[in-house]
Amino acid sequence: MDLQIALLLGQDGITNGAIYALLALALVLVFAVTRVIFIPQGEFVAFGALTLAGLQAGRLPGTIWLLLALGVVISVIEASRAVRERQFRRIPMILLVNCGVPLLLAGALFALSPAALPLPLQVLLALLVVVPLGPMIYRLAYQPIAEASVLALLIVSVAVHVTLIGLGLLFFGAEGSRTKSFTDVSFAVGDTLLQGQTVLVVVASLVLIVALYFFFERTIYGKALRATAMNRTGARLMGISGSLAGMLSFTLAAAIGAFSGILISPITTIYYDSGFLIGLKGFVGAIIGGLASYPVAAAGAILVGLLEAFSSFWASAFKEVIVFTSIIPVLVWRSLKTRHVEEE
Amino acid sequence: MKINNSLVGLLALAVTGFASTATADINVGVTLSATGPAASLGIPEKNTFALMPTTIAGQKINYILLDDASDTTTAVKNTRKLIAEDKVDVIIGSTITPNSLAMIDVVAEAGTPMIAMAASARIIDPMDGKRAWVYKTPQNDAQMATAIVEHMNNTNIKTVAYIGFADAYGEGWWNEFAKIAEARNIKIVGNERFNRSDTSVTGQALKILAAKPDAVLIGAAGTPAALPQKSLKEKGYKGVMYQTHGVANADFLRICGKDCEGTFLPAGPVLVAVQLPDSNPVKDVALDYVNKYEGAYGKGSVSTFGAHAWDAGKLLANAIPAALKEAQPGTPEFRKALRDSLEATTNLTGAHGVFNMSAQDHLGFDQRSRVMVEIVDGNWLLVK
Amino acid sequence: MSRSAIPQATLLLSLFIAALLVAPLLLPEFYLTLLNYIGLYAIVALGLVLLTGVGGLTSFGQAAFVGLGAYTTAYLTTVHDVSPWLTLPAGLLVTALVALSLGLVTLRLSGHFLPLGTIAWGIALYYLFGNLAALGGHTGISGIPPLQFFDLELRSGREFFYLIWAVLLTIILATRNLLDSREGRAIRALKGGAVMAEAMGVNTPRSKLVIFTVAALYAGMSGWLYAHLQRFVNPTPFSLSQGIEYLFMAVVGGVSHVWGAILGAGLITVLKQWLQDWLPSLLGKSGNFEMIVFGLLMILVLQRARDGVWPMLQRFFPQAPVHGPMIKAQALPRRPLPEAGSVLLEVTDACKRFGGLVANDRMSFCVRAGEVMALIGPNGAGKSTMFDGISGVDPLTSGAVSFRGQRIEALPARAIAQRGMSRTFQHVRLLPAMSVIENVAIGTHLRGRKSFVAAAFRSDRGEEARLLQEAAAQIERCGLAEHMHELAGSLPLGKQRAVEIARALASDPCLLLLDEPAAGLRYLEKQALAELLRRLRAEGIGILLVEHDMDFVMGLADRVVVMEFGQKLAAGLPDEIQRNPAVIEAYLGGLE
Repeated sequence: MDLQIALLLGQDGITNGAIYALLALALVLVFAVTRVIFIPQGEFVAFGALTLAGLQAGRLPGTIWLLLALGVVISVIEASRAVRERQFRRIPMILLVNCGVPLLLAGALFALSPAALPLPLQVLLALLVVVPLGPMIYRLAYQPIAEASVLALLIVSVAVHVTLIGLGLLFFGAEGSRTKSFTDVSFAVGDTLLQGQTVLVVVASLVLIVALYFFFERTIYGKALRATAMNRTGARLMGISGSLAGMLSFTLAAAIGAFSGILISPITTIYYDSGFLIGLKGFVGAIIGGLASYPVAAAGAILVGLLEAFSSFWASAFKEVIVFTSIIPVLVWRSLKTRHVEEE
Repeated sequence: MKINNSLVGLLALAVTGFASTATADINVGVTLSATGPAASLGIPEKNTFALMPTTIAGQKINYILLDDASDTTTAVKNTRKLIAEDKVDVIIGSTITPNSLAMIDVVAEAGTPMIAMAASARIIDPMDGKRAWVYKTPQNDAQMATAIVEHMNNTNIKTVAYIGFADAYGEGWWNEFAKIAEARNIKIVGNERFNRSDTSVTGQALKILAAKPDAVLIGAAGTPAALPQKSLKEKGYKGVMYQTHGVANADFLRICGKDCEGTFLPAGPVLVAVQLPDSNPVKDVALDYVNKYEGAYGKGSVSTFGAHAWDAGKLLANAIPAALKEAQPGTPEFRKALRDSLEATTNLTGAHGVFNMSAQDHLGFDQRSRVMVEIVDGNWLLVK
Repeated sequence: MSRSAIPQATLLLSLFIAALLVAPLLLPEFYLTLLNYIGLYAIVALGLVLLTGVGGLTSFGQAAFVGLGAYTTAYLTTVHDVSPWLTLPAGLLVTALVALSLGLVTLRLSGHFLPLGTIAWGIALYYLFGNLAALGGHTGISGIPPLQFFDLELRSGREFFYLIWAVLLTIILATRNLLDSREGRAIRALKGGAVMAEAMGVNTPRSKLVIFTVAALYAGMSGWLYAHLQRFVNPTPFSLSQGIEYLFMAVVGGVSHVWGAILGAGLITVLKQWLQDWLPSLLGKSGNFEMIVFGLLMILVLQRARDGVWPMLQRFFPQAPVHGPMIKAQALPRRPLPEAGSVLLEVTDACKRFGGLVANDRMSFCVRAGEVMALIGPNGAGKSTMFDGISGVDPLTSGAVSFRGQRIEALPARAIAQRGMSRTFQHVRLLPAMSVIENVAIGTHLRGRKSFVAAAFRSDRGEEARLLQEAAAQIERCGLAEHMHELAGSLPLGKQRAVEIARALASDPCLLLLDEPAAGLRYLEKQALAELLRRLRAEGIGILLVEHDMDFVMGLADRVVVMEFGQKLAAGLPDEIQRNPAVIEAYLGGLE
């Protein structure tokens, strides 16, 4: 291996690692606030990418139907609860938010021809369709059992993941898609070509990480999330609703996931079930961070990306074995350093 | 007098009519991988069954379709269910080699013939007591690999690198290709693997580039096969690229785009049905299938994998009448007769080739079952 | 006296076994096939019940162990023509060896690191299976010979049924026996009571390794059966997704309950079959809706039954906890106590820092055999921290602790417990789901020897009777005789503290560390406690006591040490302390 190859591999590792890092952040965020190990995080990546691909191909993405269906179900549940509590005034608002917005979006997709729109608008539309799925899934699947044990929430995550994979196959078919490149620019660095898209991925990830940092440190909602993460009951006593915190964190996670998907879909083909493995590698990063520390999680994710890139050069058949076996010593090291508080 | 004659006539008709409908329906059990990693192979197969004839020789045919999600345990479970619960007379499946291999024991014990739609020759070779019940319709990967190696010999390619799926398909292709290439003096300078769901194969591509092979063979199926190709082209690989018959569908062309220009692959003739010479008997049958499939599912939706299912249907349609003479459907004798009848298939033209079965060869294909195809201008072009 | 009714549980169990015996004769072939698969999955899920439900260690990697068992037999029977019955011990041995090595590494991982560790080697093993040509690679090994029982070849589902279910029922019996024993109590303490268990002498890392290996062995056994049932193996059934599915089955069924394993395996398998049968006719053949509907149904089930379906069903068959009659057994040998008046515990310059906070600052004192030493001080003075430092629960930052002449400050809690020190905790640490006598019996852990194998085969009954008798004796001594078989979680706090004392006494200590034992007791109960402590003192046991009730302390203690802000404020006889102006100022209330 010479320097050039090492650089190329490093570039590849960091690009993938940047995506894994974003997912690791989302996973840590969701876990810290809601104690849910959000296995379906990867599905948002796939849905985001494939929805954009569908829009670019001029097809109506199936995700909009899911959005509508979930909206209707939530409306029914919330409305019947409002009726039971005799708070009829809430009903119009419920219907407007949960049914009206998806309908509006669906209408927009029918009316405009998305394939003809400029790329930024397409990206926006794709995000608008996919991101609301996050809080809706939280509301339907997790909120009723928000107080359950971590294991129970984990198994619900598995069930949600299975459902979303099935829906993904239904909406997008078994074959994958790539989206158009955001930029075709490439820089010549020495002998090698640095793809513009790759730079975009890393830069966008960094920007997102910084934005999240400011969100958590400077805005009231960010602080509310951190408060819930540290002490759920205490935050409730201060007037921060656990459900709001949950929905907010899921919205962020969905946004990060969908955006990551949109970032990498020009570079690689995304399939309806690609999300799981990508999410798993983000999960590895998140665990290395102890499901608590964002910087360490991001670092762990990048480490996974690099390990992957280099071991696919050295011994591609055993790539997975190498990556996952190398994780174990890292885990042991992290485990020794973190003094684990025994009971929750 | 007249009335008497017509009465007798009517009676005769009624009796014969009765006789032909008095026998039971023929049940065909199908287990295929419509979900999971092999979904892009299994879904066209599933769609094809909807196009199959519902009666053969006056008997009603029921197709019972089950999905095994590319999992061996489920495939075996489905097979047992079809045999025990649905009392099928024949099993078609599965889509992939490990599933099909696992089913052999079950069908052999139950004395039910099986037609597999999977690639490996191991399914029917070496012939033994169990495999006597098993047939297959896809060309063996050995056949396809030979086509590639011959093409390589003819175009003076001396060194090849291989990159394939890290699963049974990629492994099977490697085994066959390596054997034949060595026999024909082609040096293999690289052996890489990648997963279907990998987002990048940079490492593998770089290693292959460093070995500077004349050609690269990609042993993958479906659109994931485009990933190594695009990756190599991006990094400036200028040699010849070969793919396998697993990529023979329109989605692959869509994903691969310009990077696939000039790629060679062996394929079943159904892929380039229109371009076949009229003298080729396969042309008519292949076109018939393509038209039927695209009529139902849209232009450009046809895939060669669906044609394997179509051929299985054709084999059955050919073999059932002979079996019906021996026994009633739903009996062990019928299944044995069906097995014998399948083995006696002679000169049956399918969408992928001409079947000539024998006791030792339960595939029965010859040269006519494969063609070399080149991708030109985003289309499949038959290489003469 | 009326004839005692057969317990409902036994009746149901007998019906179940009778149904199993009759099933192959009545049910159609495919139903038996399904039951076979349910049995195979249940065997693995049972391991998860032990590991995850009882032990609290989440594992996604059980499928890899199934693969080890399956591949060992596949390889040995096809390549080396070994008889299948011999490949079973071989497979179990391989599985055990791999489990031990993996366990030694991954079980050190605390909290969330552990599940990821299991994912890591689960995936690694899967790809190893697929890449080794000797194991058939991804295409697999076919032609595995069937099992032969004398002349009968186990080929069909019908014949295999008895074998699988016999194995499953044996394993259920063994697991239940294991959980209802000395080792079983240690295992049940792993989830939520590990610190307490260590203080009682339980070797928790070893217990974790035991259940990890046992769970792996169950999985390996299932793999062996699978290989000979299907007679073909390839890597797909041993992937991470299958590992997740096993955990899924265990949780849906009820992961803390042994029968939950069968229920979960059965529910999921049957549900998938139903969906495969009925969905196409309901929703059409065009798409594949099984996965979607399955996922949705599971979400609904888990929302209604968070702890699994089995506890939900149990509510329909409520049963009082069953306990056998107390068997008269030989009393356990007592530890010879040191001479009265000799120094039991010597603490010299003990310091404990938490970051910048100094909780204990150069504390020094000693406790003698046959005396009660009281440690008093305002809240936050560092008394419980001192206890934790002495007993090894949270070791000191610096300083020396000698117990019976040996330095112990660097020893783990269980080693200190073995030397004869026992303690109670300021915040009661009981296992609420276990009965009082079981909780107290944890204290006798170090006085027993029988291993988990003996427990599984029930050859530990003699020792168990002795341990339980000892526990019962301590319970009576602490005035809790009428609560002996109640759940510990249902007692009021004062009684729970008494259970803690009984547990500490059950370990036959020579030094007792009591952290606020009288808190929450009423006057007469305090009198009884004081009387008990006096008796213990008379027997020659040393007692180090933290208390806030001054009457209680001053009437009982021989010497008193006062702490404030982590430092020793004063030490001496109770009368001296009560007159000490600094103590009065700081603690007892200054006169204005």
